Amino acid sequence: MYRQTRLLGVLLILQVVAMVGIGVWLLSSIDWDRVMYLTNEQGQIHVQTNDGPWLKPLVQAILFVIYFLAPVILLLLAGLGFLLLRRRGWMLASVAQAIIMLACLFFYTDPRPWFAYPLIAYSILMILYLNSQGVRAVVHSWRPAGGRSETAHGE
Amino acid sequence: MANEESLDAKNAEALLRRFEPVIRFTRGEWFYPMDAEPYVDVCSLWVRRPGENAVCVVPAGDLDLDRLAQQPEDTTGAVHYLKIPPPKEDEKRGLWARLRARRLHKDPDWPRETFRAGRGRLARVGYISRLADALFSLVLLARGRVPGGDVEGARVLYGRLMEKEEHFRYHGRVIRQDGWIVLQYWLFYAFNDWRSNFFGANDHEGDWEKVFVFLSESESGEVQPEWAAYAAHEETGDDLRRRWDDPELEKSGEHPMVYVCAGSHASRYSPGEYLTELAFPLPRAFATARRVARRFWYVTLRQYAGEHSAEMPYERFTIPFVDYGRGDGLSVGPGQDREWDPPRLMIDPLPSWIAGYRGLWGLYTRDPFEGEDAPAGPMYDRDKTISREWYDPVGWAGLDKVSTREEELDVITGRQAEIEERRDRLRSELLEKSSRLKTLGMDAEATRDRSHLSKLHETQTQHIEELSKEVETIRAELSEDEVLNESLRDHAERLRNGERPPARAHLAHPVRPVSEAESQAGRVAQLWASISVAVVLLTLIVIFAYQRQHLLSALVFAIAMFAFIEASFRRRLTRFIVSVNIGLAIVGALVLLQHYFWQIVVFAVLGVGLYILWENLRELGR
Repeated sequence: MYRQTRLLGVLLILQVVAMVGIGVWLLSSIDWDRVMYLTNEQGQIHVQTNDGPWLKPLVQAILFVIYFLAPVILLLLAGLGFLLLRRRGWMLASVAQAIIMLACLFFYTDPRPWFAYPLIAYSILMILYLNSQGVRAVVHSWRPAGGRSETAHGE
Repeated sequence: MANEESLDAKNAEALLRRFEPVIRFTRGEWFYPMDAEPYVDVCSLWVRRPGENAVCVVPAGDLDLDRLAQQPEDTTGAVHYLKIPPPKEDEKRGLWARLRARRLHKDPDWPRETFRAGRGRLARVGYISRLADALFSLVLLARGRVPGGDVEGARVLYGRLMEKEEHFRYHGRVIRQDGWIVLQYWLFYAFNDWRSNFFGANDHEGDWEKVFVFLSESESGEVQPEWAAYAAHEETGDDLRRRWDDPELEKSGEHPMVYVCAGSHASRYSPGEYLTELAFPLPRAFATARRVARRFWYVTLRQYAGEHSAEMPYERFTIPFVDYGRGDGLSVGPGQDREWDPPRLMIDPLPSWIAGYRGLWGLYTRDPFEGEDAPAGPMYDRDKTISREWYDPVGWAGLDKVSTREEELDVITGRQAEIEERRDRLRSELLEKSSRLKTLGMDAEATRDRSHLSKLHETQTQHIEELSKEVETIRAELSEDEVLNESLRDHAERLRNGERPPARAHLAHPVRPVSEAESQAGRVAQLWASISVAVVLLTLIVIFAYQRQHLLSALVFAIAMFAFIEASFRRRLTRFIVSVNIGLAIVGALVLLQHYFWQIVVFAVLGVGLYILWENLRELGR
């Protein structure tokens, strides 16, 4: 039981590390000098009608942060929860996977960045693992006696 | 009714009175069991022939039970029905007056009780059912229905009748069938106001309900109550009845306790609120797709098997309504708020109105679903055929396969004798066939490898196979009979020792009231349930009107949000998240397949190859 739970925690933390890594890479590929140049003294960004090649990474990075900040936090909490053998990690992890999949599918429709595919693949594997018999058995065994709490376990 | 036999009036009435039920109503009920006679006396009799307008046959005031029985033969498809007179002008109350009276807790005039709805039924079901419910209400405008003023007319009429002579009466019938004595308590109500007053599925004038008690009789003539069966809507069979020693069957002395649901007058064993479903068939293709998907998920993949009903009916779509059988209102019966008046007996010779009147006991609305049409009398169904409850009450309650306690041991002895006789016959058959099989075996052995006898050998082999199967079947039957006989012996022994089989073993899907936990919902959840369908429809319109450039995203977002809110309110968040995740995983897998099809194929083949290599090497190493 502990082994399966810890493995789940490690896999979730790995997902966090990978996503943070992608985020850092995206932020580092932005031409910050250009961005700073376009920012005036009042801290406002001039609207540029002509999209330059430097703008694409900026947009991607901003969208990445918007879409993935919340699920990364949820994954971190869930992963730490499982590592520390705490309850409620299952629901957090599941919600995070749903948000990641949705965000990737939104990404897929327009900018179609390369990182969408590995994120989708990893998310699919995690969804399958989270819903596997073994993990569910562990989550069920944590059900508090006499209590019916939808968010604490896998129903 | 071959073995049916009525008891004489004196004995019948004594038995009926001895086991008559105690009926507990829900606070706010308007109509109570009454005698059919005063109701008929004030009604008019009408007939509607196919393609013609309804014609009044006997005007109000000229009708009585005897005249009701003189219904003439009529053309096929003609429907006779009674009609409650409309209230007089000075007795009518406008909508405002009715609402005001209800608010002041003075409604109705008789008896003075007010109904308070619990948790809204819509909070217990999903969007689709809510939408279907709205459509169902709209369809009511198009299909036949009881006019809104009718319930007021019935209320005034019932109040007038009760003020004239307050009474609580049932119509009693006692028959013998298949060794049982069946006490039938037929309860007549002036009106079924489930839809108008209790947010139910239908209204109709006149309402016949029933409670049956099944007795066994010893050789000395002593009777013993064994089962009770309460009618509720169109339910039939094993789930209807409870054994006399079942704790769910509450009793007051020898009187079974019945909890009658408000308006619908469905009878229940326990107090509470019941979710009653109105079922509609689904289109075949949709039902098949649903069945396949559910089987794949619950049975093949064994996902959440047992947690959600894998045996849910796929062919039906249901709209739930709540039946309020709280038992917190008036109680009628021995030692209760009101006592029963002497019953009106329906025993041989049958009163003429029972067999003679085959029409409806209230307005005929021509509702295709029949929910708004009044019922026929105790003896008939709406289509004028004799009702099963009348000619086969034992079968109706699923008791046709159950022996009375008096008969049990005799039935077992008879069955054991039958099995012994059969076993003797099978043994001699087995002896003969075994001997023949051995002979054939010897013949086949002798003709083997003889080319000139090959055809004969082939036939012999075929005969041996056939005979061998027959012998096997006989041996299996003998063995089964032996085990069965042993079980019967044990069962008889237990019965002799006074042991009884479990009282609830026959119940497959007993109807239970909604639990406390299920019925607890916040006001916000109830409010959401009431407004959700309208909000969803409005949102969809707004998206189509103003968000066309982001139609897909807006729709996905809106649907996800609504589904999330709904799942949270209904405490199904886990199930919802699992479903969403599985759906997204499938879409994601398709995206990956589209882009990396060959790479995935190569990796898959490589993976399978490596796995096989690993397994084979491991085998070598052992």
